[in-house]
Amino acid sequence: MAFRVRSIAPYLALLILWEVVGRLDLVAVGALPALSEIIARFWVDRADYPRHVLATLQASSAGFVIGNIIAVLAGVLFVLLPVTARMARGLNIAIFALPPIAIAPILALTLEGMTPRIVLAALGVYFVTMQATVTGLSQYDSRAADLVRAYGGGGRAVMRFVQIRGAIPAILSGFRVAAPNAVLGAILAEFGGGGRWGLGAYLLGSLGRGEPDRLWGIGLTATLIAGLSYALFAALSARMLGASRSVTLNPAAPPAPAAGGGVWIGVVSFLLPFALWWGLLLALNVPGMIGKTPVDVFAYLFLSEGSAAAQGKLLLALGETLPITALGLVAGLAFAFGLAVTSQLAPSFTRAFLPVALVTQTMPLVALTPLLVLILGRGSAVTLWITISVTFFPAYVMITQGLSQVPRSVLELPRAYGATVWRELRLVAIPASLPWVFAAIRTTVPRALLGVMIAEWLATGRGLGNLMNQSRGYMDFSMIWTVAVVSVLLSVAFYRIAQITEDRVLRRSGHP
Amino acid sequence: MTAPAGITLTGLCKTFAGQGGSVEALRDVSLNCPPGSFTALIGPSGCGKSTILRAALGLEPLDAGSVLIGGQAPAIATRAGITGVAFQDSALLPWRTVAQNVALPLEVLGRSLGPAQGRIRDLIALVGLKGREDALPGELSGGMRQRVAIARALVSEPRVLFLDEPFGALDQILRRQMNVELQRIWLETGVTTLLVTHGIDEAVFLADRIAIMQAGPGRIVEVLDSPFARPRLPSLFAAPEFHHLCDHIAGVLHGV
Ligand SMILES: Nc1ncnc2c1ncn2[C@@H]1O[C@H](COP(=O)(O)OP(=O)(O)O)[C@@H](O)[C@H]1O
Ligand SMILES: [Mg+2]
Repeated sequence: MAFRVRSIAPYLALLILWEVVGRLDLVAVGALPALSEIIARFWVDRADYPRHVLATLQASSAGFVIGNIIAVLAGVLFVLLPVTARMARGLNIAIFALPPIAIAPILALTLEGMTPRIVLAALGVYFVTMQATVTGLSQYDSRAADLVRAYGGGGRAVMRFVQIRGAIPAILSGFRVAAPNAVLGAILAEFGGGGRWGLGAYLLGSLGRGEPDRLWGIGLTATLIAGLSYALFAALSARMLGASRSVTLNPAAPPAPAAGGGVWIGVVSFLLPFALWWGLLLALNVPGMIGKTPVDVFAYLFLSEGSAAAQGKLLLALGETLPITALGLVAGLAFAFGLAVTSQLAPSFTRAFLPVALVTQTMPLVALTPLLVLILGRGSAVTLWITISVTFFPAYVMITQGLSQVPRSVLELPRAYGATVWRELRLVAIPASLPWVFAAIRTTVPRALLGVMIAEWLATGRGLGNLMNQSRGYMDFSMIWTVAVVSVLLSVAFYRIAQITEDRVLRRSGHP
Repeated sequence: MTAPAGITLTGLCKTFAGQGGSVEALRDVSLNCPPGSFTALIGPSGCGKSTILRAALGLEPLDAGSVLIGGQAPAIATRAGITGVAFQDSALLPWRTVAQNVALPLEVLGRSLGPAQGRIRDLIALVGLKGREDALPGELSGGMRQRVAIARALVSEPRVLFLDEPFGALDQILRRQMNVELQRIWLETGVTTLLVTHGIDEAVFLADRIAIMQAGPGRIVEVLDSPFARPRLPSLFAAPEFHHLCDHIAGVLHGV
């Protein structure tokens, strides 16, 4: 009983603090209302919610189901035929790294009705589940596989009798992480695609009216849906596993390419995303004025008469977006690393803070942004804070969990020899946490760009996000496609740079 | 059960390239097990016994040499369901019950399970697990799991049986019991058996012929007969001529 009081005490303290701060309008003249005020407003608006919630739920669950089916099938294919994994590598990284907000308008242009929302939700779950499936299928019991082969079973029999069932816990934990992503994807598509119903549409519609309590109500509802979907699959996988697994985040590296492979696989891997883009345009019969092919985008940017102007606009936007992304990323990671390492030395702090960090992780970014806009206004500060907050939490959780796998005795060894805290950090904590820091960088880089673009779109009116939103208003289709392509390429480039640096540094410092 | 098939191993060579240098696991290993014979393969740990068995089943690619089971290549023989196997580790699937684990070879071979239900039940009873048909492997002791693996090795009515230290996890009493049971099964079915073991008494009690291996590189140094009349009774374990043969084998193993 005493334990339970201890474990809920931080939350209780937080709630009370929130209530007091809200009631006294201490944050930015009432931008942070008290929880009781939010609930009261929710009650007033209660008639609005069901249709919005239903629309978001429909899109996100359809996307969740479709995305997961494709992801599991793709994972099985990648494991059965490793060459396909190498060929799809470019596509997988692109899907992982693409900022959903950048392609939301494109989907809205080329697809109809609920489809853009479903597609974006499906894209949000694909990578996580595919990765979990590949990991689960690859970590089977080789002795059981030998037995199946001893009775003449081939790769498919091993898959059927050993790997599939063995991978179920991993796949379920993939679903768990993917579920909030589906909600986020659906809401982002509602932002970019218009439409009347859905929490994203509701949020967008309420943003201009300066009613903090309503915005908070919508944001918290979105968080609740995301959190519940996470909890649902957490409970399900706990039942399958006997409650023994802890919550772990997937460091989400695309399947490592097997050695060798030849140049042509690399070429296929690079060209596949573009081929898919072109093929889909053809398959969907999108009119040429709206749907731009890779060649169209290239021509617009480099060969057309307006290309100089287009390049100018793009470079200006990049000049605004890139520095702030880098700054936010570095600050968020440094903050996360510092806190993770110090809290490692004071474990009771971790116990109190880690659950809060995990909850915040499930809060959809789109719900968070308007709230931060309310608090911080529409200047660059809001962009920076959003970037820091989207990188901080995942990085903190990942580094903390990584550090917790280092035996305490190892961490404390230098102290036993009288080392100072700094020397202890330098000798043990930093080298030990290096792989996790890099995993955090790799996974948060795309999120940072997404965070900046959302902030620019919704609040600051600068940078790539704003260029995208503006072009949407002017029906400048070529520019919409260009911004989408550039932001995806940018994200992939960041990701690759992080990955290559990681490989170099880890190899040099003796990590396997 | 159809006629047993023989095992012919000719000139097997295998070198593993590992992190700490390469290991010559097998050098020119040849062994012929005539149809219906019982051969024991004995040698110190790490001398390549399991490697021979895995190679015979086509699980380990060889540097040189050939394997024939009933005159066929391992891949064809295993797919035809001629072979049965129990590995050193029971390798049960944790999510399948005892009965379902025993049935696994039939499913892999694509045979129908319906007619085999009675047989599965009998085999589980034979290995002393009657009443535990629906237990999961996690609920069994190590010895019980090993016995499930033995039942599983027999379920496909094999003509050639490969056993890799199948009684290693059992206590001495149970081990003796299982030795007697295995002899009974072998006498009834006449299945060609290759038993890997590190128990000298077990090899002498069960086998017609005993192949003795040494390590570094793994090779067969001597093949000798165990001439005792069948069926052999547990009292044989106490017989002087039995001990004489055991002592001789121990001498060869230790290189004296
Ligand atoms: N997959 C492998 N990779 C590298 N070395 C192996 C592998 N399998 C077996 N070996 C080596 O081959 C030798 C023989 O192994 P094994 O056949 O398992 O011996 P045992 O007689 O105990 O069954 C050992 O030295 C072992 O370390
Ligand atoms: Mg062995």
